[in-house]
Amino acid sequence: MEPEKLQGMKDAIRGRLTKPMRYYLDLCTRCGLCYESCHVIQGIHKREYSPVGRAEVVRKVFRKYFRPSGKFLPSWGEATDLDDRVMDELLDAAFSCTGCRRCVMHCPFGIDTGLIMGIAKVLLIENGTAPEELLMLSDAAVEKGKSIAEFKDGYRSVIYDLEKQVQERLGLPSPEGVIPMEKKNANILYVALAGARSIVNPAIIFNAAKEDWTLSFFEAVNFGQFLGDPEKMKFIANRVVNEAKELGVKEVVIVECGTAYRIPKFMLGPLPFKVTSIVELIHRYLKEGRIKLKEGALTAPVTYHDPCQLGRNGGVFEEPREILQILAKDYREMSPTREFNWCCGGGGGLVALDNENFRIKSGKPKRDQIVATGAKVVVSACENCISQLETIRSGYDLDVEVRYLTEIVAENLVV
Amino acid sequence: MWEFFSYFVMVPMVYIAFATLILGIIFKFIVVYRSPGIPGRLPVFPMEKSKTLGLLKEAFTIPAAFRGSKPFWFFLVLFHAAFTLVFLGHLELAGDIPVLRSIPHEVFLGAGALGVTLGVSVIYFLFRRLHTPHREISVMEDYVLLLLLFFTILFGSILHMADRYGMTALNIPVGDYRVYFSSLLALKPRMPVMITASPHFIIFILHLFFANLVLIMFPFTKMIHAAFIFPALSIKRK
Ligand code: SF4
Ligand code: SF4
Repeated sequence: MEPEKLQGMKDAIRGRLTKPMRYYLDLCTRCGLCYESCHVIQGIHKREYSPVGRAEVVRKVFRKYFRPSGKFLPSWGEATDLDDRVMDELLDAAFSCTGCRRCVMHCPFGIDTGLIMGIAKVLLIENGTAPEELLMLSDAAVEKGKSIAEFKDGYRSVIYDLEKQVQERLGLPSPEGVIPMEKKNANILYVALAGARSIVNPAIIFNAAKEDWTLSFFEAVNFGQFLGDPEKMKFIANRVVNEAKELGVKEVVIVECGTAYRIPKFMLGPLPFKVTSIVELIHRYLKEGRIKLKEGALTAPVTYHDPCQLGRNGGVFEEPREILQILAKDYREMSPTREFNWCCGGGGGLVALDNENFRIKSGKPKRDQIVATGAKVVVSACENCISQLETIRSGYDLDVEVRYLTEIVAENLVV
Repeated sequence: MWEFFSYFVMVPMVYIAFATLILGIIFKFIVVYRSPGIPGRLPVFPMEKSKTLGLLKEAFTIPAAFRGSKPFWFFLVLFHAAFTLVFLGHLELAGDIPVLRSIPHEVFLGAGALGVTLGVSVIYFLFRRLHTPHREISVMEDYVLLLLLFFTILFGSILHMADRYGMTALNIPVGDYRVYFSSLLALKPRMPVMITASPHFIIFILHLFFANLVLIMFPFTKMIHAAFIFPALSIKRK
């Protein structure tokens, strides 16, 4: 590697040496307790698919350039130069990790391998070998943030069609205003995804609860985070933050998307509004009696898949379960569950990549869990999870149905 | 040569070791504190009601290891507990620390049992590393540190055994260790003749040499986990 490029790489690493990263880089004792905790190594037995194996790819580069031992006695910690082979290893390590943080639960020091993969990702961006798909998607999101005015009219006409669907489903006299946009000082700014389903179902629920809300122009998904570009991540997230500030809303409600929830909730620092997941909001409506559900509407056995970013990393465990326990006659827990739940293998933007075979294999623990419950309906509350659960379902030919939580709530409202 | 080496190990190297240990740990923390923080937080749920209690409990009972492998957990707890006691037992030799002195020296060093415990644990850790998958993730550092610990423990145990089994000819009396250690602490190093003239002098020097190496390496190797575990475990509780 040319000296200039190498310098750029070293600077990229240095830029990510935050306090937690410093601890995590020095702390690992290579005890191997996390080794089996990653769903990927459960499906594909390769050292680099274990948390410590993954992290060591990064640490070996780190030692090379940031530790005296890397310079004077490279074999001490197997320090490695940044060459093409290592760049490939970094790519394999980083974009096979969903950032689910299950390994955090299994490390005596709570080392966050997903965070360490942030270093691999900036190196890949610097090297020009980051996944094309994620680059394009994040650039498109940034572009939309820069020139939102051009998108507005087109988006409004799409929403107009969706309003008719909501009107029909609720039997309202007119579609006018059932999906409000750019409404100042509303209680809630709802941030959806690109798919119509992520707008129609929540709109039905908001209307049923007589909520004072407005729809965001932006999608909640953050490809900057998946790509591992901190600047783009912040820009994409701030599109919604600024929109919420301009509109003066009290609360920002995030669609069923784990990462989209975790970023504003935990990763941006203090914000002048509350951040809530749509799952929490539905639960609140039920508690307040603003909506009612048909009890026991689902007769087949139902299980719930905790999206990692919503459960383990977001703390939303009880709400979806309480909702499902109303709807389902036969609710079953997976095992292990909650904070120890297996990642489905779709997070971290992996579902956006061309890697279906890999994802079927790495979805093996999830497949086994689902089968063990005997459930016929698998419910989740994250679009990435749902896509991956679909991949697992078809990949292993499972006799189950995969459903969004909001969708079954919207279908089973008592109106 | 030997005279110089033994003097070096007994006096300058001990000072170097403790200075490196203390300044090294301070240095490591300064580097972290001068690094940028993150704008948000990195919690993992569910969180205990009392974060401090939860953190201490996790640091001292290692639930992650308990879930992962019972034998490994057993030896981890054993090793760390024994290590702490032995460390305190040695401190008690150095200065007149009333709290520590109130417990007989014998008890700290476990009448030889601690040496055996430490030795067996370290051998377990070594053999565990030789097995897949731990072999694949191990690097030179892991083996070298375990070997250094093993030799420190081995020579320390030999010294202790001479005392224990009343091998008068070999034994170096506790009193003389005390004289030596407190002289170092007072910055007026003395090398008592009962130590230097003992047939076990060479064992003593080897014990001290390996122990010094361990202390010197402590801040700059993965052994820093003993200090970093606390801030690291608090990250996921913020
Ligand atoms: S964050 Fe998840 S995917 Fe990444 S290494 Fe840990 S367990 Fe594996
Ligand atoms: S459990 Fe933690 S300390 Fe042990 S190897 Fe994994 S990351 Fe390293």
